[in-house]
Order: sequence, then structure tokens, then C-alpha cells
Amino acid sequence: MTTVPDDLKPILADWLLSMADDKLMLGHRNSDWTGIAPFLEEDLAFSSIAQDEIAHAHALYGLAGDLLSRSADQLAYGRNADEYRCAHLVERSDKFDYARALVRQFFYDLFDSLRLPMVANSSFTSLAELAGKMAAEERFHLEHLRAWVLRLGRANDESRGRMQEAVNILWPDALMLFEPVADQDRIREAGYCPADCAALADQWRARAEEILRDSELTVPKSSASNEEGGRRGRHTDEFKELLAELTEVYGTEPDAVW
Amino acid sequence: MTASRDNLPEPSPGEPLAEERPSYIYEVFHQSRRSAPHVHVGNVNAVDDQMALDFARETFVRRRPCVHLWVVRREHLAGTPYDLDDLTRSTDHSYREASAYQDVRKKWEQFRTRKDVDEYQKEDLKEAW
Repeated sequence: MTTVPDDLKPILADWLLSMADDKLMLGHRNSDWTGIAPFLEEDLAFSSIAQDEIAHAHALYGLAGDLLSRSADQLAYGRNADEYRCAHLVERSDKFDYARALVRQFFYDLFDSLRLPMVANSSFTSLAELAGKMAAEERFHLEHLRAWVLRLGRANDESRGRMQEAVNILWPDALMLFEPVADQDRIREAGYCPADCAALADQWRARAEEILRDSELTVPKSSASNEEGGRRGRHTDEFKELLAELTEVYGTEPDAVW
Repeated sequence: MTASRDNLPEPSPGEPLAEERPSYIYEVFHQSRRSAPHVHVGNVNAVDDQMALDFARETFVRRRPCVHLWVVRREHLAGTPYDLDDLTRSTDHSYREASAYQDVRKKWEQFRTRKDVDEYQKEDLKEAW
């Protein structure tokens, strides 16, 4: 059991929350498709992915909760909007365009499946263990999403057109996945956040470009925004709506025992 | 399962996919342990083998133990018609049933308790059975 110094606890918790918040929001958004995905088998697969993400979020909220002496539920549902650390990519609605839902999940799963093996070497041992378990599931997610990107990009003009539009719209947000939380350097020094996370953005970009090219899709030229994003608590208006919906039940009775 | 999927041909870059991509019905067979036979569990709709395996995993490996999956396109399965005449034989083949052997133990027990079997044979029978 790693003992974390008190001054690093809030930073480490922030970083854990950035992972958990991404997953909770993604899982919640993706669950909107349950029952209305293009066909039955894909509905099951996509819903499964959503369930996995929420399960990961639950575990991560547990770790963060230990550091902050708060329950996982309180962290998931009880914070103010500017205390959440999810990236804009997962906040925005996909407007019920399945191409967007697929591309969003693809960008995220590529990010996570590159990051988790690094996090499995964290000196924060409970996180390292958890990351190892999550990595196996993320690899399956990525295979599924990559299979769709490949096939839809190359099938016909309509599918390629819709996929390309989704890629163009989501690319700038995807680049903001790599925005660090405040003072992330300090937990990098401590070894909780692996040092090679710095190379993550380049790795992601190289791999994403490769897969998009294989899928006959073009890579957008846009680069990451210079403004502060979700990792610093700056969220979109859509996030406020999303949060209100997500926390509605919890909000009526925060101390309820389930 | 990932290892078996590595061997599957994947649409490679530069190779155009067909304009119209029909989807196929794949029958799914799952193996609960390595020593067990594959059992048919249902079917999935998919455009190719890789997606069929993916969907089969999601659809049929949710709540049961499974170590291996097969998917086969329904067109690739040959089957018999439902007319039972095709499957059963009409002459007597009851010798194939082991029912005759069910009486053997009872016969041994009867033989062992017979009073005219001498003591030596009785000991012998005890070990052999």
C-alpha cells in the first residue's frame, strides 16, 4: 500500500479524477445508444463498452476517494461543474450521429490503450494493478472501434463522408485529452504518473494518423487549443446540461443509501 | 482469442471493399472448457469473420465461462432435412445399446452369494469386482 505525502494527495486525486470523469461521461453518453444502435449485435457491443467504462470509472473514483476521504458516489455525482476534470471530447453530445459516437470512442480508446500500459508501471501500486486490468478491456474496445473505422472509411462514399465529418469535428477536442491537470509534473516526479506520459500525445497522433489513412480518411490539420480545457475545470455549456441530467437522481437525496 | 484473430485475413490497405457489403448470418459455437466440445449457442449478423467473432464474444460470452469461440457462416454449413427417415435405421440395432450390460452387476452379486461357490473363489471374486 503506497503512502502518498499529504501535499501530493490533491494532485494525484485530480489526475485520477481526470481519468474517472472521462470514463463516466463517455459511459453515460454511450448508454444513450442502448436500444437504438444501428443493429442488435452492435447495440450489445457498444453498450458493453459503455458498461466497461463506467466500471473503470467506479474503480478510479474509489482510489481517488481513499485519498480525499470521500465516497466514490460523492465524487462521481456531488462535485461542482468546475471540479470535474473530464476533457471536452467526452462532454459534447454526438447529436445521435453514430459516426460521431464511433469516432469519439475510437479516439478515446486509442488514448487509453496507449496510456494504461504506462500507468501499470506507476509507483502508486493500487493504480498500477487497476491499470493492468483495465488495459485488457481497453484493448478489446480499441479492436472493435478500429474495425469499424476501417470498414466504414472504406465502404462507400456515404460512410466515408460521415466518418470524415466526425473526424474533422472531433480532432481538436481529441488533442485536448493530453492536457495535464494542474501541477501534474509533481506527481510525475514522484513516479505516480509515469514519465513517458509526455510522449503519449505524439504516439497517439502517429497511431491515429496511421489508422485514419488505412481507412481512407484524411487527417485534419488542426492542432490543440492553447486555452485551458477540461483538465483545469473549464467546461462547455453542454457539460452543464450533461451533469444536471447525470446527477438529477443523486441530487434529490445525496445521503440516500442504495 | 486474440491469437486466433491475428491469423484472420483483414481488409488490407489499398484493397477496395465491395460497393455493397451484405451481412451474413454466422452460427456461433462456444467451448466452456478446453476439454469440452464446442456447443452451438446461437447466431449473429456480421459483415465478415472478424466482426462476427467480436459480436459473438459480446453476445454469447457475457455470463458463461468460455475459452474458445467458433463462428461459421450459415451458408458453409451442410445439414440434413428434418425427415427422420434420413437419420434413423429401420432394422433392429438394439445390440448397439448397452442395456444388456446393466444386468451384469446383478448377476455377479447373485453368483457371489451362491452357497455352492467355495471360500477360495469367494475371496477371489471380492478382489476382481
